[in-house]
Amino acid sequence: MLNVDIALRVGSFDLEIAFAIDRELLVLFGPSGSGKSMTLGAIAGLRTPQRGRIEVGERVVFDSATGLNLPPQRRNVGYVVQQLALFPHLDVARNIAYGLGGLSRAARRQRVEELLALLKLDGLAGRMPAQLSGGQQQRVALARALARPTDVLLLDEPFSALDEALRADLRIELLRLRQELALPVVFVTHDLREAHLLGDRIAVLDQGRVLQFGPREEVFRTPTSRRVAELTGAQNIFRGRAFNGRLEAGGLPLRANLPDAIAGDIEIAIRAELCNLRRLDPDSELPENCYVARVTANLAFGSMHLLRLEPEGHGVPIEIEIAARPYEVLGVHSQDRWVVELPADDLYVFAASPEEAAPLR
Amino acid sequence: MMGRRGPRHRPDQRSLYTGFAAPAALALLFLGVPLVALAYEAATSGGIGDRLTSDETLAALRLSLITSTLTLVLALLLVTPLAYLLARADFPGKRLVDTLIDLPLVLPPTVAGVALLVAFGRRGVLGPSLEASGIELAFTTAAVIVAQLFVSAPFLARSLKAGFEAVDPAYEAVSATLGISALRTFWRISLPLARPALISGSVLCWSRALGELGATLIFAGNFEGRTQTMPLAIITAFQSSSGLAGAMALSVILVGVAFVLLLLMRLTTVDPGRQAGG
Repeated sequence: MLNVDIALRVGSFDLEIAFAIDRELLVLFGPSGSGKSMTLGAIAGLRTPQRGRIEVGERVVFDSATGLNLPPQRRNVGYVVQQLALFPHLDVARNIAYGLGGLSRAARRQRVEELLALLKLDGLAGRMPAQLSGGQQQRVALARALARPTDVLLLDEPFSALDEALRADLRIELLRLRQELALPVVFVTHDLREAHLLGDRIAVLDQGRVLQFGPREEVFRTPTSRRVAELTGAQNIFRGRAFNGRLEAGGLPLRANLPDAIAGDIEIAIRAELCNLRRLDPDSELPENCYVARVTANLAFGSMHLLRLEPEGHGVPIEIEIAARPYEVLGVHSQDRWVVELPADDLYVFAASPEEAAPLR
Repeated sequence: MMGRRGPRHRPDQRSLYTGFAAPAALALLFLGVPLVALAYEAATSGGIGDRLTSDETLAALRLSLITSTLTLVLALLLVTPLAYLLARADFPGKRLVDTLIDLPLVLPPTVAGVALLVAFGRRGVLGPSLEASGIELAFTTAAVIVAQLFVSAPFLARSLKAGFEAVDPAYEAVSATLGISALRTFWRISLPLARPALISGSVLCWSRALGELGATLIFAGNFEGRTQTMPLAIITAFQSSSGLAGAMALSVILVGVAFVLLLLMRLTTVDPGRQAGG
């Protein structure tokens, strides 16, 4: 397990972070400069927090109350830094065996063989890092981090330098590896899809604070603040008002699952891919949360389309993501007027942040 | 990487290259002519062979090689930690130290000799205390090494500092997380990765020590077999009755030795990380 509760100040940047995970994969998700890498540095013992406590495996490795601060050498942390930092003057086998000085020559060789097999690096033992492809370098860095007894694995944007196809492969590889290793893993990324694919849990970081921490689906489905909704890719965020258990946004009545505590000025968010597009049927009445709207922009991304629709009369523009196939079946391109549905269960409502008093978007 | 048959140069650069060829050739000529002339004269004029193997010459050569090599060893021991601290650590007065080690680079060596004499000479600031502890420095072989060290060690410091700065601290951080102590990390990672700078700095330091004249002359004096290194022997020969002929013979030897050593250095220095592929 991994238990972190620290405050760390570097220059004018102020990080306060707390989370606890078991043998699962935690994604630290946030924009660059939010404190993700700094958190990994603190866990690994490369940065010393001003106060707090870090537990790795069953051991306390840092505790400001008792003055305990184990050096990185004694924390049993496998750390893959963003730039990988494969030792350029050592071949693959020596890179992997680098931290295995305590073992006999035979044991060391055997451990290297095991890791080469585990990470599908067979036949590359004698190569220098500069002779490896990006994906191979990635695997070597991972093998090196896992070579010694490891209680937690820290991965800092490990796939960011790779092309998309390779990233997809390695993510799947990581999922497989996670099953085999049964370790707590902290994975830093600012890639939304990566966070969604890999994270058992997600901590959303912004400016040195954890905005939300929870199981993946919970964080993606029910963001607790406007900022989390923005960071997790909710394209539609409207301002509105809640009164007597009813909602109104941009002049349109809405129904949503309204948290009890929320009233007055609110914000409503919905992800573009959760909005529905329906054919307009002039004869029937519009159901709730449905509006007639006109397509004002249509961006084709190959596998999907991003539509921007202006509701007629009232309301604010809504962005809708629709997959290529339903787009064709519905014949979106042949029609201008559509019915947009904002499903009540997929609307997240939170109190308007006071500093965001300006009109939405 | 460019294909073997592909164009070697961008077309728009070709005219620049042609334009630069003439002054480049002139520079090469200027640098080459004296050396070629020296070699030619040495090969054709008689009696030079005797001079090459005379006792005085061999003594000076031996002294030069021994002192410059010892200087390099001492410089490596003293300057490597300093260069690493300057590259990595934060400490008060760092900029001052940085400037201080540059100073000997810009001083005329004669000034360095005077400064050394004022500090360590018999009547110098530290003279009495050195004498009390039985150390007499001025006008000894040790003084030759001190003079060479003072003048040449900054070259090594400069080069090594730049070399350590170029090593990404992430390598050292990763090494620490892999259980390797900071000192062992220095030996296994920092120093090997700074190897090109270590070698070029060593060559600079050593060759500067080999050619050192002014500081040695003032601080160590010119005593045959004790402090008379090759540059001093050349000056002495030039001012003696044998004149140019004697100076020439000694110069040929010095040039030959320096050339062979530089060549060896070039041939053996390959950055290990970029050895293959890449």
